Amino acid sequence: MSGASVELRDLTLSYGARRAVDGVSARIGEAEMVALLGPNGAGKSTLLRAVSGSGGGLATGGARQTGQVLIDDVPLDEYDGASLARMVAVVPGQTRAAFPLRVEELVALGRIPHEHPLLGPRAADRAVIDAAIERVGITNLRGRDVRELSLGERQLAVLAMAVAQAPRLLLLDEPTVHLDLRHQVAVMELLRDLAIRDGVTVLAVMHDINLAAHFFGRLLLLYQGRLVADGSPSDVLTPERIRAVYGVDPALVTVAR
Amino acid sequence: MSTSVVAGRPALARPAWLDWLRHRPIWLALAGLLALAIVAAAGVVFGSVAIAPGDTLAILGHRLLGLPVTQTWPASAETIVVELRLPRVLMALAVGGALSLAGVALQGLLRNPLADPYVLGTASGAALGAAIALLIPVQFALLGFGLIHVLAFAGALGAVAVVYRVSRLGGLSSLSSVLLTGYAIGSLLAAGLAITMYLSGQNLRQIFFYLLGSFSLASWPQVAVGLPIIVLGSAVLLTRARSLNALLLGEETAAHLGLDVRRERLVLLAAASLVTAAAVAMAGLIGFVGLVVPHVVRLVAGPNARALLPLSAIWGAAFLAMADLLARIPGELPVGVITGVIGAPFFLLVLRRYRGGYEL
Amino acid sequence: MRRLSFKFLPLLAAVVFSACAGPGATPTPAPTPAPTPAPTATVALSPSAAPTPAGITLVDDEGTTVTLPGTPQTIVSLTPATTEIVFALGAGDRLRGRTDLDDYPAEATALPVVATYLGVHIEEVVAIAPDLVIAGGNNFTAAGDVSRLRDLGIPVLVVYAPDLDGVLADIRLLGKAVGEEQAAEGIVGAVEARITEVSNAVAGLDRPRTFYEIGNQPELYGPAPESFVADEVNLAGGDPITTTDPAVFAIPLELLVTLDPEVIILGDAAYGICPDSVATRPGWAGMTAVQDGVVRPVDDIVVTRPGPRIGEGLAALALAIHPEAEIEPPTAGTEYCPTL
Repeated sequence: MSGASVELRDLTLSYGARRAVDGVSARIGEAEMVALLGPNGAGKSTLLRAVSGSGGGLATGGARQTGQVLIDDVPLDEYDGASLARMVAVVPGQTRAAFPLRVEELVALGRIPHEHPLLGPRAADRAVIDAAIERVGITNLRGRDVRELSLGERQLAVLAMAVAQAPRLLLLDEPTVHLDLRHQVAVMELLRDLAIRDGVTVLAVMHDINLAAHFFGRLLLLYQGRLVADGSPSDVLTPERIRAVYGVDPALVTVAR
Repeated sequence: MSTSVVAGRPALARPAWLDWLRHRPIWLALAGLLALAIVAAAGVVFGSVAIAPGDTLAILGHRLLGLPVTQTWPASAETIVVELRLPRVLMALAVGGALSLAGVALQGLLRNPLADPYVLGTASGAALGAAIALLIPVQFALLGFGLIHVLAFAGALGAVAVVYRVSRLGGLSSLSSVLLTGYAIGSLLAAGLAITMYLSGQNLRQIFFYLLGSFSLASWPQVAVGLPIIVLGSAVLLTRARSLNALLLGEETAAHLGLDVRRERLVLLAAASLVTAAAVAMAGLIGFVGLVVPHVVRLVAGPNARALLPLSAIWGAAFLAMADLLARIPGELPVGVITGVIGAPFFLLVLRRYRGGYEL
Repeated sequence: MRRLSFKFLPLLAAVVFSACAGPGATPTPAPTPAPTPAPTATVALSPSAAPTPAGITLVDDEGTTVTLPGTPQTIVSLTPATTEIVFALGAGDRLRGRTDLDDYPAEATALPVVATYLGVHIEEVVAIAPDLVIAGGNNFTAAGDVSRLRDLGIPVLVVYAPDLDGVLADIRLLGKAVGEEQAAEGIVGAVEARITEVSNAVAGLDRPRTFYEIGNQPELYGPAPESFVADEVNLAGGDPITTTDPAVFAIPLELLVTLDPEVIILGDAAYGICPDSVATRPGWAGMTAVQDGVVRPVDDIVVTRPGPRIGEGLAALALAIHPEAEIEPPTAGTEYCPTL
């Protein structure tokens, strides 16, 4: 399985007169691991939603869109929801189950795009679910109610669901927010493993610059909806730029990888 | 949106056999079918009039299978078994299954544990329709259905249609606004019902019938008209397992899992409203079935709609047929009283026992 | 939503229960002809479709033509008044079922109850296999129950008397139905004589503004215009104070105070309401009737039940309004609130 490419062509998303995303163009190659950075309100999540597909119009929350998103060089709106779901998995910032739900049942939801519509998951799907649980390392949580888990454990369970979806493009919205250091690292290493071993293209909105710089090979820096920098961490994260974008004086330390 | 982490509380130890059952819903289904068969048989054998089980069997064999049995029973026994009890049991089974399915669908769609088949105004719409029918001095009967049934059916569907339009559920409004709209429209209709009841004098008793539910007037013509509607709507709901599973984590996640959320909203809502309206028109407002059965099944079998839907239909059918049997033993109690009296404490017991972590 | 609906049940129960005390106390809709559905039941308990030469053809109070193959021998009566009439006609021994409200004559209480406020127990009625069911009109017996019984091939005669003449007509109708026409004429003659006696006795007297209290919980209930009770108060020599609408029997206290009754009749005396308590009700002390002490209890069942004792009921009501009138004391009914 190889990753999917993503191309943004002059993408603009506006709510009324306000442009949340303003003329962003970029190309993300297969199996690339890219972080979206920027201060609050820079348009990161809006951009991610636009890439995650129309989703029946839900995803961009009613924003008006000009420009294009292409996945594997095909415009996004030419995909139907089902085939897009077999290709793209989304890990939202927050997940809330309406009813008591066990971890294994949550992970199984990832198979919905692949399973038989009427007959449901079959043996092959079961195997994928088990493998996803094992890979994320949450076998001990299988029978627990998702809503009794810590936030970190819950995030891992949602990641396992995304893994079970077997996507070629994985979109994540602040996957490490609220997590302790151990879980942050666990999540990052899983993403890297997915990109390297499975060739999954990863695009994540990150709030933590350090974590992004450490684990992602390429950063897209957004400021007031515009793409102000695109490149490796050392190219993007200059002191001047961080001061201009985040409004703080950074103390940058280069850490050997 | 609240994230609820039930931190600090120890995970509740579930009995091992319950865990075993959760992974083998087929046994729950078979047990349910057995319960259903027993209750259905009891519903035909027992009633306020005693008829020997042997006679009942002979009557059924004679009338349904055409067996050459010598008639040793009074003609009235045959009427009671074939014309009164059989359609009554059938209708209770159908309505119980349908209300439970509608409950599963609406709880799943609205992601609200308090949702029941009546949550979007069906109940007050049907009651108002029935009440208006009683004010109209035109008697009309077609296939066992009077104006009261027709207007109750129309009222239930009309109320949902108004809620749907007003809340713009067809668009992308938030689901809490749908619930609030349902509540507001329901209150408005309840006010209309109050006025109508005030004007209807002695006819109030029939509105009373509608508010508490009863199968006492079930007949073959009613079964012939109502059952196909219920079976059709239920069949549609039974095929929506995948949609309801996808909706477990919300509409946005459902969309990312490939669901056409807008279409599924419409399908689920239309099918649930159709069966609810048909059920209400035939038997009045029977509470608790559509709320309690899905929850109890969910607590035992888990939220997976592939198990939840059929299991709720089976157990809901058995539960309501049993409630109806209990309702007619002492005479003719409204079946809604029985479902409430049994359902509410049982529900509380189950919630207490398994602390499912419901957030209300 | 259900919870909202339930809010109305107490109101509903109160209104209906007070109405049940006297089925005639309800407003009269124009009698509507109901098409008789062809019996769809495969088991016809009595072949009502083909009238035999000995058959009895009747038109009930809803205009439905009911044909009986012969003199009915197994009868179910579904109103207190018709049960009384059947007994008075001498056909009580043919009754096999009644409602829980049928309490007179004493023999009636021995009959099995096959209907309550909540409806007719269809199964039990079918088991009796009656060749005549007498039901109450104006939904005293639910219309659905009536059509269900007819669908099962059981002849149902729906009886409803909007006024005293209607009661006499019903006695004749039931006399014809059960084959006791002679007895019916006897009862009708006796009731008519009593009506005439009362009319003559009150003819020259004042007609005081009279409020007949049907019930006072949770609201105050009185006769609707042109209702059975209003008609009776008229005959008994009173000027009835009624609600404003034929379909409404709740009467606002403000309206009652404004209309200022000169006589108050307590139809709810059987529920423990007595004249002394009326005086203590907020807002009632100023009424002429209360100040003059003209608040009198009656036995509502005898006064308002449209049965063979209606003549005695009318006499009781007339004596309550005009104690001075020359009327034979009623031979039926219970005396409530005895004066010490």
